Order: sequence, then C-alpha cells, then structure tokens
Amino acid sequence: MNLDSKIPSGDLSEKWSNHKGSIKLVNPANKRKHTVLVVGSGLAGASAAASLAELGYNVKCFCIQDSPRRAHSIAAQGGINSTKNYPNDGDSVYRLFYDTIKGGDFRSREANVYRLAELSSNIIDQCAAQGVPFAREYSGELANRSFGGAQVSRTFYARGQTGQQLLLGAYQALMRMVDAGKVEMYSRREMLDLVMIDGKARGIICRNLTTGAMERYAGDSVLLATGGYGRVFFLSTNAFNSNCTASWRAHKRGALFANPCFTQIHPTCIPVSGDHQSKLTLMSESLRNDGRVWVPKRKEDASKPPSQISEDARDYFLERKYPSFGNLVPRDVASRNNKEVCDEGRGVGTSGYAVYLDFKDAIQRDGLQTIKEKYGNLFEIYDKITNENPYQTPMRIYPAIHYTMGGLWVDYNLMSNIPGLHVLGEANFSDHGANRLGASALMQGLCDGYFVIPYTLGHYIASTPLPAVDTQHPAFADAENSVRSEIQKLLTVGKTGKKTVLEFYRELGHLMWDHVGMARNEKGLKTVIQKVQGLREEFWNEVLIPGEATEFNKNLEMAGRVADFLELGELMAADALNRSESCGGHFREESQTPEGEALRDDENFCYVAAWGYTGQNKPETLNKEDLHFESIKLSQRSYK
Amino acid sequence: MPKLKLNLEIWRQKNPEAQGSFEPYQLSDIDDDISFLEMLDLLNEQLIKSGKAPVEFDSDCREGICGSCGVIINGQAHGPLQATTTCQLYMRHFGDGDTIIIEPWRSKAFPVIRDLVVDRSAFDRIIAAGGYVSTKTGPHPDANSHLIPKPVADQAMDNATCIGCGACVAACPNASASLFTAAKISHLGLLPQGNPERSKRVFRMVQKMDLEGFGNCTNIGECRAACPKEISIDTIAQMRRDYVQALKE
Amino acid sequence: MSYPQVKSFTTVFKKLLIALSGLGLVGFVVVHLLGNLTLLRSDGAAFNAYAAKLESFGPLLAVAEIGLLAIFLIHIVTVLTTKKRNLDARPVAYRQWRSKGGDTPSNLSSRNMAVSGSLILLFLGIHIWQFRFGPGMSQGYIATQGQEQIRDLYRLVVETLKNPVMFLFYSVVMILLGLHLRHGIWSALQSLGMTRSRTTTPLRLLGAILGVLLGVGFLIIPAWIYFGASI
Repeated sequence: MNLDSKIPSGDLSEKWSNHKGSIKLVNPANKRKHTVLVVGSGLAGASAAASLAELGYNVKCFCIQDSPRRAHSIAAQGGINSTKNYPNDGDSVYRLFYDTIKGGDFRSREANVYRLAELSSNIIDQCAAQGVPFAREYSGELANRSFGGAQVSRTFYARGQTGQQLLLGAYQALMRMVDAGKVEMYSRREMLDLVMIDGKARGIICRNLTTGAMERYAGDSVLLATGGYGRVFFLSTNAFNSNCTASWRAHKRGALFANPCFTQIHPTCIPVSGDHQSKLTLMSESLRNDGRVWVPKRKEDASKPPSQISEDARDYFLERKYPSFGNLVPRDVASRNNKEVCDEGRGVGTSGYAVYLDFKDAIQRDGLQTIKEKYGNLFEIYDKITNENPYQTPMRIYPAIHYTMGGLWVDYNLMSNIPGLHVLGEANFSDHGANRLGASALMQGLCDGYFVIPYTLGHYIASTPLPAVDTQHPAFADAENSVRSEIQKLLTVGKTGKKTVLEFYRELGHLMWDHVGMARNEKGLKTVIQKVQGLREEFWNEVLIPGEATEFNKNLEMAGRVADFLELGELMAADALNRSESCGGHFREESQTPEGEALRDDENFCYVAAWGYTGQNKPETLNKEDLHFESIKLSQRSYK
Repeated sequence: MPKLKLNLEIWRQKNPEAQGSFEPYQLSDIDDDISFLEMLDLLNEQLIKSGKAPVEFDSDCREGICGSCGVIINGQAHGPLQATTTCQLYMRHFGDGDTIIIEPWRSKAFPVIRDLVVDRSAFDRIIAAGGYVSTKTGPHPDANSHLIPKPVADQAMDNATCIGCGACVAACPNASASLFTAAKISHLGLLPQGNPERSKRVFRMVQKMDLEGFGNCTNIGECRAACPKEISIDTIAQMRRDYVQALKE
Repeated sequence: MSYPQVKSFTTVFKKLLIALSGLGLVGFVVVHLLGNLTLLRSDGAAFNAYAAKLESFGPLLAVAEIGLLAIFLIHIVTVLTTKKRNLDARPVAYRQWRSKGGDTPSNLSSRNMAVSGSLILLFLGIHIWQFRFGPGMSQGYIATQGQEQIRDLYRLVVETLKNPVMFLFYSVVMILLGLHLRHGIWSALQSLGMTRSRTTTPLRLLGAILGVLLGVGFLIIPAWIYFGASI
C-alpha cells in the first residue's frame, strides 16, 4: 500500500501556515449539516468535540466512563511543554522540535513534530483563557519548571495535577457546547465497530454499557481519540479500563496500525507488590529533579534497610554513567538502567525489583518545607500505598508501562488510511517516535484537538462527496450483527469456561512484560508470539464470563477488550521482531553500542512500520512509510 | 504479612428498578497490603468461579484522581481515612475478623444502576449549566496578559482539584451537592477569566443543582470531612457571597 | 436583574432567608434574656416592672409581636420546605451512617438542628400559652408598683417553675436552645456568605460561645427559681 503522508511542501517552518492557507473550508451555513462522531473524551477528544461544535458542526461524543471528565488524561501529573520561553533560557520552536525528534530517537515525522512545537504556545493561551489554574509566580506570571531531561524550563503545570486541570478545561468547554445543544454526549458507551460505507468511515456501533443495548450512530467523519494500549501489559500506570478496542476494531476494518512496538516505560513508578495488584501508580518524573537514584554497590547489601548502607557503599548509577544529565536522562535510558542494576541482583525491596529515589540531600539542601511544597501530594500518595514515609526513608521505584507511542497510522491531516477516520492524541502514532519526552503527551492531545483537527476535518468534509446516510443502511446492520455474534460467542464459551477474564488478562500481561517489555530479543519475541497465540486459543475455549449481554456487565466489557489485546499483543511482538534495531523505548538486545546504549540502524529502519490486518489468525502485512529528515541530521543520542 | 478474614455485607441490586438487599460474603487470607478495590476484585473472582454474579462497582484510574470509584464503607464515604478515595484505601486499615458494610452512594439525584454503581450524570448537567468560561478555541491574548496573584491562583486551584466523585453528596445528611457546585463556581469566579460570567454562573448552576433533586446545604460540614481533595466549605460561603452579589446587580 | 425566574426560592436563597430570620431571632433572644435577668432579683418587683413597661407600649407592642411572629414564620416555613427537600433527596436511607469528623463543623448540634428547632418550637407554644396568654390580674395575679396595680407575672413564673416537671422541661429546652445557637449563629453567617477562610474558624468559635452563653443564661433562670426563689 502506498502511504501518502500528505506533508505539505515548503520550508519546515512554513508548512503548517501554508497548509492552513491552502486547504478547503466549509461554509459556516453548511457546517451544521454535518455530523461528526468523536469517540473518547480525553484531552484530544474533548478538545476536538468542543472546538468542532463551536465551529458549527453537530457533534456526538462518546466515552466509556460515566462522565467525560474521567478520561485517563486526568491522571497526567507533571506538566505540559510550550515554547513560550518566559524564563528567557533559550527555548524556541526549533529547540522543542529538535528535542522532541531527538528524544523520539528520530523515528517521528519531522513536519508533524514541528507543527506540534509551533502550536504549543497557543495551547497555553487557550487553557489560560479557559480558566485553567496554572501555577503562578508571586509576580502573577505563569511558573515554569524543567522536566524530563529538558535543558530549558518550558513546562507549565498545575501542582501535580496538570492533566486533571487541562482535561477539566476541555471538559468544561465540551459541556458548554452540550449546553448550547451542539454536542450530544453519550457516556457509558463503548465503540465496538466502525461502519464503512463506500470505503469511507460513516458510523460506529456502540454498546450501551448501562443497558447492554446495541446502538448505531451515523456521521460524516469518525474521530478516534481513545488513548493508548498500555494495558496490554495488564500492570501499567494506565487506568483500569483503558483499552485498545476502538482502535483495534478500526484496524480490523482496514486502518493501519503503526509502530505498535513503540511503548514507553516510565522509570519512576511504585514497584509491584503482590499478585493481586491491579495497576501501578506513577510518581511524577519531576521527582527526578531533586531525588537521587541509587542502589547498593554490592549485591549483599540489597536486602539491608537503606539507612544501614553507608554513603560509599551506594552506587548513584545514573549520575556515574551520565555525568551531564545525571538523574534527568530520558525515560527510556533511565528505565533500562534501573532494570540493568536489578538484573545484576542489586535491586532493593522485597521483590528485588526496585531502586531507591532518595530525597535526603535535597531536603538538606532546600529544607523540608520546600520539598513538601514541591512534591507533598506525591509523597502522600506514596505513603498511602506503601505505608512508608519518603521524607525519612528513600522511595522505592521501578519502571512501568506508561504510554504507547505507536497507534493508528495517520497522515499530516490526522486522517488514517480510511477516508473519514481521523485519529487524535495517544491513539495515533505520529509525533513521539520511539520515545516520548516528558510533558509532551498533554501538548499533543490538546494540539490535535484544539488546533489541528478543526482545520483538517473541514478540508476533508469540503473536499469529499458525502451523500447522506442513516443508520438503516445495510452496512450498519452488518456491523451490528458482527458485533452481536462476537459477544454471543464470548458468552457461549463464557457459560462453561474455567478461567476468568482477569486471569487471562494477567497472564497476557506477564507474557508481554517479560518479552516485549523493557528489553526484547529475537528468541523471546518468537516465543511470545507463539505463547500469545496459544493463550488466545485458550481464551476462546476456556474463558469464564458471568451474566448476560443485555445488562450492566463489566466482565463482559473486559472480555471484549482482552480478546482484542490478545490480538494486538501478537502484532506488537511481530513489529518488535521485525524492527531488529534499537531505538528509544524499543530496545533490541542484539542492537546496542559497546556501552550498552540503544543502537539505531538508520540504513534499514528509518521508516514507520504500518501494519495491515489480513484476517483472523493471519500474519499482518507490513507497509512502510519512509521517514525523511530535511532539517536535522540524524545522530546517535548521547546523554553522557 | 498479616492475612485478614473478613465478613462483608454488600448491597446487591440487579438494576435500577429492582429491589436491592444486603448479601453477606466471607473472605479469608486477604493480604493487608492490597487496596480495598483489589479486595473486591478478589471477591468477584471467587463469585464468578462459583457461578454467581460479581459485585459491580465503578473504578478506573485507581490512583485517586479520576473520581470514578466511591462507596460507603461502614457508614463513611470512601471509608475511614480523610483525604482518601476508595481506590487509595488499603486493607491494612482493617482488622482481622472485621465486618465491613458496603453501600452505594445514596441520593435521589444519583440513582443506583447496579449494585454499587450509581448514575452521577447530574454533576455533568450542573457543569453544563455554567461551569465554564464562555471562550472559544482560537487565538487568545498571551497567557501572561492576565496577571493573577499567586494566592488567588492557589485558591482557585484548591477549588479546581475537585474530582467529581460525589462523596460530598453521599456523606451529606441532606444529600446536598453544594460543595461540588460551589467548588466550580469559586474556581472560575476567582479568576479574571471567569469573572465576567460570575453572576449568571451562580444563578444557573444553583438552579440546576436544585432541579436535579439534591438537598439543601445546612452547613453541617460532613462534605468537607468526606472530600478526598479536602475542599473547604469556605467555598460554599463564596458561592453564597456570589449569589448575594448577583441579587444586588 | 435578568434572571427573575431563578432568583428566588433556590436553596441558596432560602438559606439566606433562614439565616436572616435566624439572626433576627438571635437578637430577640438576647433582648429577652436581658429582660428576664431581672427575675434574678428575688422580690420580683423589677421583673414585674419590666413586664408592665412592655405592656404599656400598647399598639407598638402588638406591631413588634406581629413582626416577631413573621420572623418566626419565615424561619419555620423555610426550614420546613428545606427539610422536606432534604428528606426527599435521599429516598433510601443508609443502613449505617457515621460522621467522618475531622476539622469540620459537623457535630451533634449541626446534624440535629431540626430536632432542637422542633422542640424549641413546641416549647415556644407552651411558653406563650403559659405566660403571654396565661392568668393575669383578673385571675388574681396582682402586684403593686407605686400606686398602680400591675400583673404579677413574677408569681406566675415562680409558680410554674417550682413545678419539677416544668423545671425539667424548661431546663432541657434551654440546653437545646444553646445547642441550636451553638451551630446556628455561625451557620447563619456561613449562609450569608460572610465567612472567609481566615475568619470562619474564629467566627465558628465565637458563634458557639455566644450560643452556649445564651443557653446557659436562660438555664440559670429556672435553676435559680427552682432552687432559690420564693414568693
């Protein structure tokens, strides 16, 4: 398949403005004749739904939660990047662009990333106008902090709850449009299929999660803003109900899935503590600004309490190995190093899979009060979960799955290869390459929703013949029937099955973490493909599901999602196997520098791997979009 | 690691129309370092394996920020700890042999959907009635063109931390939504961006709150005690101040 | 004034009425207590003189009484509609409900305003029937003030409160009044939006002290009479 990324011509810095000036517009009077279906109400979905409704489109917005305000964007802690350069420390659009491309290990699309950097300052203005209570200096001006390996202070924040505040801003904008009658909000709805008519995305099939009823919705375009697929690892920092189902069902209808193996491991999470844990909790990356990461130098000390390990018996390994970035190396580098020291047997805690994040020096230097003001809420969360006081004893942290850079393939207009199917936010693949920088996810979600899709969707609608369709069209009946029969299949097996959905889910998670987690190798990937196939077969024969389809039934919801993860998991492994280079969060043990750093292979892998679905239990086909770098030179990342 | 044996009494209700009742369950060998919701997960695994319907409850982020979870635990919204959501409550706060009574939020405005799951969409409708700044997406003046004194920004943020979980309503002897509504009114009203619509906002949101069937605040303060984000009832006074000011206009 | 339909009779507006009428009643209670303290003078002349002085205002007194009645009615009727709404707001009661305490005004007083209020109302009926419409000069309750004959209200008060049942009843209600005001005074300020983060805790304390003082003040009178005073 020929993948046309539709990158506008011209100089990098002029592409977006040229594009905006040349794309088609929809007459204001005509906008109200068009219906847009927005699936997901996180930063990308809510901002898109609100912005499109303001323009005059009729919007229907869907979310699986009981309220659009609960989308998982709400859990983002640290902040949002922007090139405002208020601190006057040398930031610029080009620098954010460069940092993002480099941080993504040169596997993202130049033009998209540049646009993201370019629009980043509009986002701050937009959110401030909505009343987002960003942190302020005593002057009354906005405060900034340095975040996640950036050498400039470009991160805006609202305590440790930036995602919450930005999401509530978008949610309120969305509810304003609900009030104005321009958005119809459908909560507790799960999209289970994409309806295609004449090769275009024209509708969706949803299950009403309250009643179990199947519902059909028709529109002129479908926007997927359904987040990432990190829950394929079961334990992750993602919300319990985050899932890949909407994306995956669209994939099965023909949308290409790009770079599925690009997942991000976040270095600072509270370690796994037992077999019954249901999710992992992130401790914001901002903690690395003041905390020092260490493990004992000797294996024998690993089981001692930290207070009994003297200063010279401690190995501050990030500071030792990366003198210029120290504890602030990018997430993938920090995570891998954490894993490495634990694999050496120097990990701490009951499981041996944790490292210390120590605030003793910071407290001595800045005083307890300052540290409390900066991180008080995080320390409390830590205390609540672990029953340990991080002011007195160092935190124990370990990497966990946090974000997925891969996602449905989109062009510069955020449209997938299916006409009319647009994909926004974490659900698409485009901006973060093989590794996302801290405080960039919020930026991308809002950028897509507020400032990109309102333009590019108009272009699609204005330039595409869209004859009216309604939900009586046979394509809707077909899609609904296929969803119904799949649910029926699940429930039929479910009546006599032996293993619960959660048991399968955990098992898949273990397989994925062990073989497609922080480090991957050919043997492990080949093994895991077979194992996931086996588990999938077992699932469809042995899964135990309570209840009926026509009632509120969370296990049935979860069963559908796990069924999809069991397919996606295999594709992730296949993608990781195909990409025999290391880049960003994707670390192939076969491809590393003598010092053990990720070694890219630009000769053979400077492309986006976009996979096409070919049918149940059949290998997917690989399509390549070559990445061209016009403005920057590819270099080996170094944070030494 | 201590292991707990627990007697649970849980409200079971098949659907909004059905008559509900309490059902007793026994659990043993519960690790005390798992969360309350993980304890319910465990119960559900056992129920499913013995052919019974699992207990339905809402939860999502499981780190205290999304506001999905929330049940009444032994008569207290989100359980015995202050500043804690149900998902952040760990079993180490319970003792071996304890009886735990688990009920859904109870309010006319929050009808039960199933078991411990309630419909909180009334909160969305209150926000839709004015809990926003009427600004559109597009170019705006530079974010620093409005200077906001730090104490004001901090106060707005205190109010904005509301997670919309509904514990205030659940804990209030009057099932009032005043803390929730006032928190949004105060958050926006305190900021220059939200100030122009202050009067209109307070009238519309208060009216909506009433229409949804919530009770009347009688300044008891249970909402503050149950609020996982410790939002102060000063915010309710602020709402009334805005209301009085609006009456004068 | 562009939202006439929503201005009145929202819960917040009703709470303003309750607060304003409540504060009015607090004013009345203060005046009433000050007047009643004359009961502590054991010969009763001061109290009877005070009562006679009030009587002498004639039509003015009637106006004041009607005004007071109106304030009471506003307080009671708005409270009743509020109570009705609050009962409707939770159709299914909790099997178990426990306070979460902490640094809040939630206490026995604040959670039982309706109970204390209703008992005070019941008391009020009895109290007015006993004294305002109770036996007067034609029934022989006559005292002399200089040349004049006036109603011997003092004797009526003492006779009533010497009855152990009445003494107990009055004492219990005065405790309830103290509890009602302990929360009520601050609550009124909170309802009027007059409390702020820095002032609310001191005001709560002040309101509680004033409330309890008023309660104790009123409690002294029946005790003084029951244990001490003679006719």
